[in-house]
Amino acid sequence: MSRQLAHLSDEALVLLAARSEDSALAELYDRYGRTAYGLALRVLRDPALAEDAVQDAFLAVWRTAAKFVPERGKASTWILTLVHRRAVDAVRREQRRRTESLDPATEPSVEGVEEDAWLRLQRERVQEALRRLPDAQREALELAYYGGFSQSELAERLGQPLGTIKSRMFSGLSRMRELLGEPGTEKSWTSTT
Amino acid sequence: MDLHDLTAAYALDALDADETEAYERHLAQCEECREQLAELNETAGALAFGAVAPAPPPRLRSAILETAAAERTNVVPLLRRRWVARGLAVAATLAACVVVGFAVWAFRPGPRHVVAVVELGPHRGRGTLQIKGLGTAPQGKTYEAWVIPPGGQPRPAGLFPGGDGTFVLRLGGVPPHAVVAVTVERAGGVRTPTSPPIIETST
Repeated sequence: MSRQLAHLSDEALVLLAARSEDSALAELYDRYGRTAYGLALRVLRDPALAEDAVQDAFLAVWRTAAKFVPERGKASTWILTLVHRRAVDAVRREQRRRTESLDPATEPSVEGVEEDAWLRLQRERVQEALRRLPDAQREALELAYYGGFSQSELAERLGQPLGTIKSRMFSGLSRMRELLGEPGTEKSWTSTT
Repeated sequence: MDLHDLTAAYALDALDADETEAYERHLAQCEECREQLAELNETAGALAFGAVAPAPPPRLRSAILETAAAERTNVVPLLRRRWVARGLAVAATLAACVVVGFAVWAFRPGPRHVVAVVELGPHRGRGTLQIKGLGTAPQGKTYEAWVIPPGGQPRPAGLFPGGDGTFVLRLGGVPPHAVVAVTVERAGGVRTPTSPPIIETST
């Protein structure tokens, strides 16, 4: 597979995608498609729905790349936010999950999954940070982000006031931010060539 | 409902449709929330990497790329040369991003689609010019790149033959607001450009 644009930053690739350079979209997919699919699969628990969410999100990248503003955040965050939003929308449409028990935080088995070393490192880093959160904060973050539950659903299902749920999500995310270190020190994708 | 309190939930996509709409209206007017959201978004985005990521089926990649390509076939610029983006400053806080400025020219001599990107390192010390799709230079000719400081003379920045693939030229120092240009010159190159640039970008 040709990686002619492998040395460009994510942000440069988005600019190229905005100018109809489809190899830039391919390169962005090669960098983040796998993480996107893993995220969608975790939220949706259904490979076909996960594929739909990822496809919708990358086509949204293609269609709206010109609106991306680098000053507001990293391109990878923008892409994964598009994926997450679509996965959450889909899971809320799915009545099936609504009847399931409150157990969306269960991690699918890692067995048989061949990961590249960088992705494995990222996953372990995030999971370690999650483990270090107080239980109530971790539960709120996992149910909201990986489970796709809204704050009102969480309040109802956990039997807590809405204010408590909001504050757990805020404290949990703020603490995660500290645990993961400054965003700037986070390793960005780099070319191996 | 205190809308300031919804930032974390919004970053996690944990608001329902009405709350999302209300919060987005609020966001347009609240600088403080925009700043906080930018921080929390980066952290929420990091959670994406916490999920086990099996490889997606290969058909997903091709479905995305084929659909994308099909959507753009009608968008062909009519101008032979087209300015597509002026230098784009990326906030210095984005330390993960090595680009502090770049610019792109794309033009279509005939059916060809040329993309040129100037990418500068974080300290503007060294830049690269990457060009794809330019085609081979005519017999006895070469492409020559130039760095032109504001108000200054063009400095030769390297020769390349063109052809298939992407050419990457190291430009050396690129002063702020310099223009990077490419001309067609006689084989062996020249010290001063003798023809109008076929590609020009500002940084």
